[in-house]
Amino acid sequence: MKRQVPLVLCFVFGIAMIFTQFSPHSFSQGIYEEVIRWALIIGPFALVLATVTLIQTHTARIRRRTEHWQYSFVVFAGLIVMVLIGIFLKPQNPMFEWLYNNVQLPMDATMFSLLAFFIASAAYRAFRARTFEASLLLITALIVMMGNVPVGDLLSNDTASKARQWILDNPNLSARRGIILGVSLGVISQSIRIILGIERSYLGGGD
Amino acid sequence: MDFWSLIGIWVAAFLTLSIYSVLYRDNPFYRFAEHLFVGVSVGYGIVLSVYQGLVPFALKPLWETVTTGAPEGFIKLIPICIGLLFFARLSPRHTWLIRYPIAILIGYGSGIAIPNVLRANIFEQTRGTIAPFAEIAAGTLSGWGVVEAILMVAGVICTLTYFFFSVEHRGPVKWLSKVGIAFLMIGFGSAFGNTVMGRVALLIQRVDFLLGDWLRIIS
Repeated sequence: MKRQVPLVLCFVFGIAMIFTQFSPHSFSQGIYEEVIRWALIIGPFALVLATVTLIQTHTARIRRRTEHWQYSFVVFAGLIVMVLIGIFLKPQNPMFEWLYNNVQLPMDATMFSLLAFFIASAAYRAFRARTFEASLLLITALIVMMGNVPVGDLLSNDTASKARQWILDNPNLSARRGIILGVSLGVISQSIRIILGIERSYLGGGD
Repeated sequence: MDFWSLIGIWVAAFLTLSIYSVLYRDNPFYRFAEHLFVGVSVGYGIVLSVYQGLVPFALKPLWETVTTGAPEGFIKLIPICIGLLFFARLSPRHTWLIRYPIAILIGYGSGIAIPNVLRANIFEQTRGTIAPFAEIAAGTLSGWGVVEAILMVAGVICTLTYFFFSVEHRGPVKWLSKVGIAFLMIGFGSAFGNTVMGRVALLIQRVDFLLGDWLRIIS
């Protein structure tokens, strides 16, 4: 009951999703579309559980007065305000949109733009490695970057953007195809192992 | 400009500067913005998943079933009950029940993945790699195009050889693998360059916001 039923469920849903994709019959297509909707229904519950875990973690931080515990209240404030306004007033409400446009969106963009500074130091360290591979990586990156900005074309008489495009369309694409093919074969073999119950790590430990 | 737009610009500017303050060193402003970001992002994710998943696909059909009496909507109770099993995690005695929804989602994901990955990532990528050779056979590809087609196949084979661990990398395999590393480095370099440009574009956009919308130094 505790381990066998989940394995059976995994097998049934896995096989059903494979066969319904190959069968054009309306009944099988109906099942396929219904199960896709089921996944969209089940997903939010997992997100709510993750949020409960987040709340538990921060509650424990406040209770134990660990370092910077006061900021856990900020997490709760942001979470509660967004959820209350979004759920009760709906996402189209101007107040929810205001929070998204003036709180979440600027912070999101700023957090990601921070990487511009860290990536510069990473490039410096890669340059210091002085190996053939590191040089190849940095020279390619430099051409791609120069080909992306107008000043690159201005300095090289349009050669930078042409070189960038050639790199992206040829050696870069072949490396990516190699990676995609390898990863895909791994995904397929792992999926088969999961459906057949050979791979069971998702069940966790215990009985 | 109305009052709330003005407040919005000041709030966004304060949060932007708070996050950038970490470039100097860790400080209370950054920690405040960081924690607020976590809370707001999680809240936004919940609202979105509820209104894009739960409401249109479960609660709406269920409500129509209750009001009209049509029995089809009751089938939505099955995924709702499966989803509710996630909360068994909160009870130590019933934690094992969480395996049911996880097993269903993993089985569903694996079943969806096999045909789609085969189609999109294996067949299509292989076809794209060898398709130019049909043009070579037809004599419609230029000399430089032939070089590119050969380079493409060589790159894919060498990259795959680097990841092929069933044979020891010695002799010709070692050299193929070394060429594969070179192709991989060019691939990573391209990804690195594009990532840097993407992040710099974001940085320019934030600076543009601070100098234009907030301080009005630039128009």
